[in-house]
Amino acid sequence: MEVLMIFAIGILFTVSTYLILTKSLLRVVLGVLILSHGAHLLFLTLSGLKTGAPPLLGEEAGSYTDPLPQALVLTAIVIGFGITAFMLVLAYRTYKVHETDNFDELRGSDDD
Amino acid sequence: MTNLLILPILIPLLAGVILIFFKNSKMIQRVISVIASAAMTGISGYLIYAVYNNGIQTIALGDWQAPFGIVLVADLLSVSLVFLAGILGLVTLFFAYQTFSAEREANYFHTFYLFLMVGVNGSFMTGDLFNLFVFFEVMLISSFILISMGSQRYQLQESLKYVIINTVSSMFFIAAIAYIYGVTGTLNMADLSVKIAQLYEQENSGILTVIALTFLFVFGTKSAIFPLYFWLPHSYFAPPAAIAALFGGLLTKVGVYTVMRMYTLIFNNDPIVFQILLLFGGLTMFIGVLGAVAQFDFKRILSVHIVSQVGYMIMGIGIGTPLAIAGTFYFLAHNIIVKSGLFFFAGITEKITGTTHLKKMSGLLKTHPYVGWLFFITAISLAGLPPLSGFFGKFALVIAGFEAGHYFVIAVSLATGVLTLFSMMKIFMTSFWGEEKLPDPSAKERKVGKLILPVLPLVALTVILGVAAEPFFLFSLEMGEQLTDPSYYVESVLEE
Amino acid sequence: MSTLHIIPLAPFLFAFLIPLFYKKFRHIHTGWFVLPLPLIIFIYLLQFLPLGGTAFQPVEVTVAWVASLGVDFTVYLDGLSLLFALLISGIGTLVVLYSIYYIANKRDEPLNNFYVYLLMFMGAMLGVVLSDNLIVLYVFWELTSLSSALLIGYWYHKERSRYGAQKSMLITVTGGFAMLAGFTLLYLMTGTFSVQEIIAMSDQIAASPYFVPAMILVLAGAFTKSAQFPFHIWLPDAMEAPTPVSAYLHSATMVKAGIYLVARLTPLFGGQAEWFWIVTGFGLLTLLWGSVSAVRQKDLKGILAFSTVSQLGLIMSLLGMGSAAFHYDVIDGESLYTVAILAAVFHLFNHATFKGSLFMVVGIIDHETGTRDIRKLGGLMAIMPVTFTISLIGVASMAGLPPFNGFLSKEIFFEGALNITTLDMFNVETLGFLIPVVAWIASVFTFVYSMMMFFQTFTGKHKPEELPKHAHEAPVGMLISPAVLGLMVIVFGLFPNMLAYTVIEPAMQSILPGLLGEGEQFYVNIYHWHGLNTELLMTMGVVLIGTALFLNFDKLQQTAFYLGERDPLNGAYDNGLTGLISGAQYVDGVQMTGKLRHYFTYMFVFLVAVLSYALIRTNAFAIDLANTAQISPYMFFIILALSLSTIAVPFMTKRVPAIILVGIIGFLVALIFVVIRAPDLALTQLLVETVMVVLFLLVFYHLPELRKESFKPVFKWSNLLISLSVGAVVTITGLSAHAFSHGHDISPISDYFVENAYALAGGENIVNVILVDFRGLDTLLEVFVLGIVALGVVVLIKYKASGREEV
Repeated sequence: MEVLMIFAIGILFTVSTYLILTKSLLRVVLGVLILSHGAHLLFLTLSGLKTGAPPLLGEEAGSYTDPLPQALVLTAIVIGFGITAFMLVLAYRTYKVHETDNFDELRGSDDD
Repeated sequence: MTNLLILPILIPLLAGVILIFFKNSKMIQRVISVIASAAMTGISGYLIYAVYNNGIQTIALGDWQAPFGIVLVADLLSVSLVFLAGILGLVTLFFAYQTFSAEREANYFHTFYLFLMVGVNGSFMTGDLFNLFVFFEVMLISSFILISMGSQRYQLQESLKYVIINTVSSMFFIAAIAYIYGVTGTLNMADLSVKIAQLYEQENSGILTVIALTFLFVFGTKSAIFPLYFWLPHSYFAPPAAIAALFGGLLTKVGVYTVMRMYTLIFNNDPIVFQILLLFGGLTMFIGVLGAVAQFDFKRILSVHIVSQVGYMIMGIGIGTPLAIAGTFYFLAHNIIVKSGLFFFAGITEKITGTTHLKKMSGLLKTHPYVGWLFFITAISLAGLPPLSGFFGKFALVIAGFEAGHYFVIAVSLATGVLTLFSMMKIFMTSFWGEEKLPDPSAKERKVGKLILPVLPLVALTVILGVAAEPFFLFSLEMGEQLTDPSYYVESVLEE
Repeated sequence: MSTLHIIPLAPFLFAFLIPLFYKKFRHIHTGWFVLPLPLIIFIYLLQFLPLGGTAFQPVEVTVAWVASLGVDFTVYLDGLSLLFALLISGIGTLVVLYSIYYIANKRDEPLNNFYVYLLMFMGAMLGVVLSDNLIVLYVFWELTSLSSALLIGYWYHKERSRYGAQKSMLITVTGGFAMLAGFTLLYLMTGTFSVQEIIAMSDQIAASPYFVPAMILVLAGAFTKSAQFPFHIWLPDAMEAPTPVSAYLHSATMVKAGIYLVARLTPLFGGQAEWFWIVTGFGLLTLLWGSVSAVRQKDLKGILAFSTVSQLGLIMSLLGMGSAAFHYDVIDGESLYTVAILAAVFHLFNHATFKGSLFMVVGIIDHETGTRDIRKLGGLMAIMPVTFTISLIGVASMAGLPPFNGFLSKEIFFEGALNITTLDMFNVETLGFLIPVVAWIASVFTFVYSMMMFFQTFTGKHKPEELPKHAHEAPVGMLISPAVLGLMVIVFGLFPNMLAYTVIEPAMQSILPGLLGEGEQFYVNIYHWHGLNTELLMTMGVVLIGTALFLNFDKLQQTAFYLGERDPLNGAYDNGLTGLISGAQYVDGVQMTGKLRHYFTYMFVFLVAVLSYALIRTNAFAIDLANTAQISPYMFFIILALSLSTIAVPFMTKRVPAIILVGIIGFLVALIFVVIRAPDLALTQLLVETVMVVLFLLVFYHLPELRKESFKPVFKWSNLLISLSVGAVVTITGLSAHAFSHGHDISPISDYFVENAYALAGGENIVNVILVDFRGLDTLLEVFVLGIVALGVVVLIKYKASGREEV
């Protein structure tokens, strides 16, 4: 299953890279979001998708899935959420001031 | 005593939170953030003393020992950088008081500044790779806010690029941690050092090189090496000088610190990695300085120079001998001091003339001689001319590079030095020399006043680090020894 | 710290007092306060002169500086450094005196700047010649570059001054950096930066592969500083400096630093054929080029500038020729080839005297008539008799006419050049005959420009209408310094042997050590009359042909080469500089386009290139299908759905469906979390994803509808290619990491958490225990980040800076 997952993650990275390379504000931000999914899945996959019991000690199982990556990814998800939220607001502000969502037009000097 | 280690992180964190509640009192804001910065500096100063005499200090948070819990590690490198960050923070605050609008201060500038310091100090001191990621994010989010604060047109446009590029790089940070955790099953840096060294002995260990280079992509973006530096030159131009100085002096250096840590502690024995570090160190310094040659704007020249100077440090790490690491640290310390100083000068001249464009001002030496001469000293120090701080770092790198047989990259670094001098003299000769030509007549009488005060300690430091280099260089050499032999670090962290 | 250490440092320390003097005693010319310092140094140094006829004993005193890098501040005073130090302080005294009259104490004349630069320069020069440690020497060396650039740019409101300052700084500092590299190579070979210790090891290191590169790099420093062809182009432009500065920099100091270095390192490199040919060759070329170019000049200072270039070439070539002496025995304190070194030292001294006086005289003419253009000047003999007399002495000495000191050194120069043709090594047999020929041709031109300068200024018709000022004789104070130098030209012309055992012999001993036995000395005796030998015939030829050329000067001036004044080599510098800037702007423009997608293109190309390089180099790719978990059927479908919906995103043309689709991806990820036994993650992901979709919809509701991306096809395909490569590299690395992780037996640290979560931390949900306990700091900071974001969003929305009142 890991191999399959890694290929799926490859697709996530490919698509997000493609989106990031476009000009549209929305596509770029969506690309970043997909990228974060890819990174999180990569973390869990590489630490082994052993289908043990969930890491809850009450489950009385012989083996548990690796709990550490889960904890770390949880932290990463929350942080990623915060950063993306800020990025959204900043994107919105930028749009309001520049009145464009085209990154190719978001350039030039400050001599205004 | 080791509990002191948490204070450089805890103090700014608490101070920043407290200041949220004193939004409207300028006085309290200023006093508390100065006290917090001074305390940070003082404590890290003491820690330098302690580490120098008693060796590396660690603290296991929550008393969960390494490699299981998170440890903070104070070795010579990390405490020195925390100390320098504190000094830089202090002078930046004083500069900010003279230049910022009341509105900016009322909009939590101090809080964000302190939070930035939490991230910076944490990144320097943490001994855990994932925790480094978290501190990076604290630093980045604070920097996002500081750099976009004010929402000027140009500022927003460049901040957005800054935010997006850095976020993408953070995502790759997670991917890189995923790789390394997948391979080693650990996150503690000392533990990683041990395990990676064992794994290199295995067959097919080439993947470790690939992982090491994935980290280079991440840390290279933070430290602005070629061709990952694009977020920097324009975005640093946008915010006020005090913030540009803080960022220019400090943020890329956090990236450089991580590169240094990563490739001295963990991947310290991989020839391909070092080869690539040298290659991109050389490219970074040269392409960066070309950017400075091309520009005719005070702040823009300084911004691209950051890139060029990072190249020197990457080169030093790529050489990798104790002397090279000592030289790199000397250069790093020098650069923090001088680069922020130069941004202050950009701010001062902008205050006088209302512009940062070189061709719009000239003859400032006549009207403002002190500014001119202090700038001159700082500028030639940046170019690495003796007997100032810029010289000895560079000199050590030249010796180390030749010793290791890297003639070409050293030649590039010397050529870069010439171009650096050229671009700094361009500022001096067009803005400070020349016929008196200022955008408005009142500029001539405009006094700089207390604005000059924050640069004085920086200029003094660059002179002292040059003329009285010996004790500081001995210290750097000690650090070079400590860093190039990971066993010091490993043993202090993993001891029971 | 000894008195000798104070000598180079005193001017720096004294420089700090200058602004004070300038402010406090504004009505007194600041120069008067400066004057005593070089005089005291000069007098102090005089006591070291060996007057008793015994061999000179070098003095060495050391103070540690940056010992960890092998840098000690060692002062080494031997014959060579004493000669230079005396010239620097002696001529320095005269120059300061001269400047007091030359630069008037006007109200806004920044005399404080002038004397600070001058003192810095003087200290740096003294430091160069007194340091034994190469790095200390280098430090002072760069300080001379820096302070001389400041002196050249003293009148910085003038475009030409700034140009000259920048040029001299760029060229000399570049050479300095090369020299630093050369010094470092010497250090690698010997483990020391001390010149004397390195010289002692010269035999052992001569075979090292670093030896010749070190030599060339060091020479690059010396040649740029001493204005050797083709680096001489900075010197004529340095004439923008106030004339006292030119007199100082170009007669005795700055440009002689390179000569000093070559002389100082002759014992190290001197025995080598490369050294012989490079130093002699560049010296002769410079000699010829300088003298030929000097004739083109119309500006008196321009003539002197190129004359200086030419004379520096002369001294340099002599040092090169003299280096052959290491291969021969010295008999009776003399040999065929030590003559060249004798000539070098003697001419160095003579040049300082006559060129110093001539610069000052030209300054006087400029000061009193307002011009230095020889086409406007003329007939000044009657109006400025004293100036005329001093000029006569200086010019005659420069042209090599008896009985002045220039004649003597020129004769010995010819002798040395002739002797060299008898050399039977270094392949001199083939090209050696050229040496005296070039020497002779250059001397002819030297004669011509000397005549030109003299006659066009002082004879002919006085043309007061062309002069900006009413010409009259200069004040006495201004005449003292050139007169003293002129007097020396005569005295040492008549009694050259006064210098022999005091100055020349000790200096020769420093340049050519090891040739003499214990207690022996070089024996120098300079005669005026050697009989009618080849040298004298050569001199007569110079005078005859030179006079003929001078008389036909008008015709000469019509040739194309003599129509312009500027050195054609300047084109290389100027075009190089503009080329550099436009090239840099091009490189900058290509990268810093301002377009985010370009930035990302470069970044991803870097990522792909570096990682695939490593993958291929280390042959790291591996895939492991054995150690994998079983694929459950619904997992297969989830992954399929995830992949398909991801691929569909770029095809979305409307914003709301695009956002919803990405939301679905998020929910699918949450589903995967459920399947792989991560319930906490799944919950978090669901929550975050829901909020995120709402936020996106809120924000992008206000933004315009998605448009079709209008890329040129090339971008479309390159974007696709880059994305596929990034995906491929990430996948391959992931697969290989996965395979590698099963190839070893290092167990992950997480077992510890499973074992201890309940026992030590008292929790059953291990993930939660890790979050709140084992790695509590992460969680604290995670919440902290959210807090900062919340506050940041408030600030971002609320606060807009008004205009640019902040900096």
